[in-house]
Amino acid sequence: MLFNLIEAVQMFSLMVYRAAGYTITRFRSREVLIQMDRIGVGSIPIVFLASLFAGLDMALQFEVVMAPYGAKALLGKVVATSIIRDMGPVMASLVMSARVTSGIASEIGMMKATDQIQALEVMGVDPVDQIVAPRILAGLVMMPILSIAGDLLGLIGGLAIAFLAAHIAAPLYWSGVREALTLPNMVNGAVKPVVFGFILTSVACYYGMRAGGGATEVGRTTTRAVVAAAVWILVANFLISKLLINLWGTAG
Amino acid sequence: MIEFDNVAIGYGDKIILTDVSMTVPDGRTLVILGDSGSGKSTLLKGVLGLLPCASGSIIVNGAVVDSLNREELLLYRQRIGMVFQEGALFDSMTVGENIGFWLWEHTDMTDDEIESRVRMLLSFVGLSETIDLFPRELSGGMKRRVAIARAMAPEDPLVMLYDEPTTGLDPFTSKSICDLIRQVQAKFGVSSLVVTHDLHDAFRVGDLFTFVHDGKLVVTGDRQVIEESVNPFVRTFLSE
Repeated sequence: MLFNLIEAVQMFSLMVYRAAGYTITRFRSREVLIQMDRIGVGSIPIVFLASLFAGLDMALQFEVVMAPYGAKALLGKVVATSIIRDMGPVMASLVMSARVTSGIASEIGMMKATDQIQALEVMGVDPVDQIVAPRILAGLVMMPILSIAGDLLGLIGGLAIAFLAAHIAAPLYWSGVREALTLPNMVNGAVKPVVFGFILTSVACYYGMRAGGGATEVGRTTTRAVVAAAVWILVANFLISKLLINLWGTAG
Repeated sequence: MIEFDNVAIGYGDKIILTDVSMTVPDGRTLVILGDSGSGKSTLLKGVLGLLPCASGSIIVNGAVVDSLNREELLLYRQRIGMVFQEGALFDSMTVGENIGFWLWEHTDMTDDEIESRVRMLLSFVGLSETIDLFPRELSGGMKRRVAIARAMAPEDPLVMLYDEPTTGLDPFTSKSICDLIRQVQAKFGVSSLVVTHDLHDAFRVGDLFTFVHDGKLVVTGDRQVIEESVNPFVRTFLSE
């Protein structure tokens, strides 16, 4: 068990190290653009929809809790702080892990099952160079973009509830949002999606590259990849939150 | 030239083949025959450096495959033409991109030069009209032809390897693939290894033959040697 874990960490680290090296030494712009389109552009509808409803729901819940205390005026700040620091990046990443991690893991798994990965090796091309590096890089670039755009949709969802249910004027809501745009909050909102983008693509590539042959095994590998990515995103979210709170000395 | 010098090879601790010693001279095609799971393809993996020898060595044009480091191995493999069992075409690429992939990766040719060579190779395998199709749009036989065209992309391959190139194909298509393998052999004049379990196809493409059984090569030689062999496994194989 422990040996398997150590081996997995070693293999994963080696894959990431080689992918980083290839990204620097031979940048595959065409492959990266293709992956950015698949990972990023293809995920826009689902991420935006999830973010919008997360914002709606969050504002609804906070309004119920805050109303008895006469604190409804703070709704914009509370919703924005939650979305920018935590819910936005986490929600977008979990939705992305369902779509992107499963897609990448099953694609690479099927490539392995049909000898396409071996064909690359035989043609003198390292699969980490051709397959892994562009996907990780695309995840690193696209996840923050999607997450920040998703944050905006979440804030608009929050505004809808603030205006329609809590009867808060839009300027008051946006003024609360502006108050939430502190440096610690924005650093939180910028760092997390980068880390999550790395996790959901690298974990997918790792599991895909280690998939056994056959459709059943590819299915199992895909499930494992999605579960692992989701868990690691939540773990990383906690660790980054803790680290940044310690760093800034305040919750923002 | 490919030399197997007292090779033992397998997966980890599980040795599949032992005492493999034979030579495939330049310009000759050796067919490896045997039943399923006997380790025929394992020998190809050894030649490709995908599996290390447990003992002995495989020498291709003077290079001991197991002694190559990772970078040398990548360079070595660039000059090996390999046709996989189901073709192993990249399904995210068109036929033209599949064949041009090696050229994009390993040469300084311009896009026009690559397209010209891709069209020439497709013409050679009789599939000129498929350049913009995706692998999923091809039949099994067409996929094998494209795979052969892709394996021919290097202009000066060291060796050509074919893993079950006719498995699953109808007899007519199998014969056309065998004819194509012969044409490739005539064009490059390098050593070739063909793995198959089909005796008719073996005699169509091969100059030399070896039978794998119970983890060893039981008979190796030309057609006459094979046909005169008294080995029970070979006699059974010939009579099927």
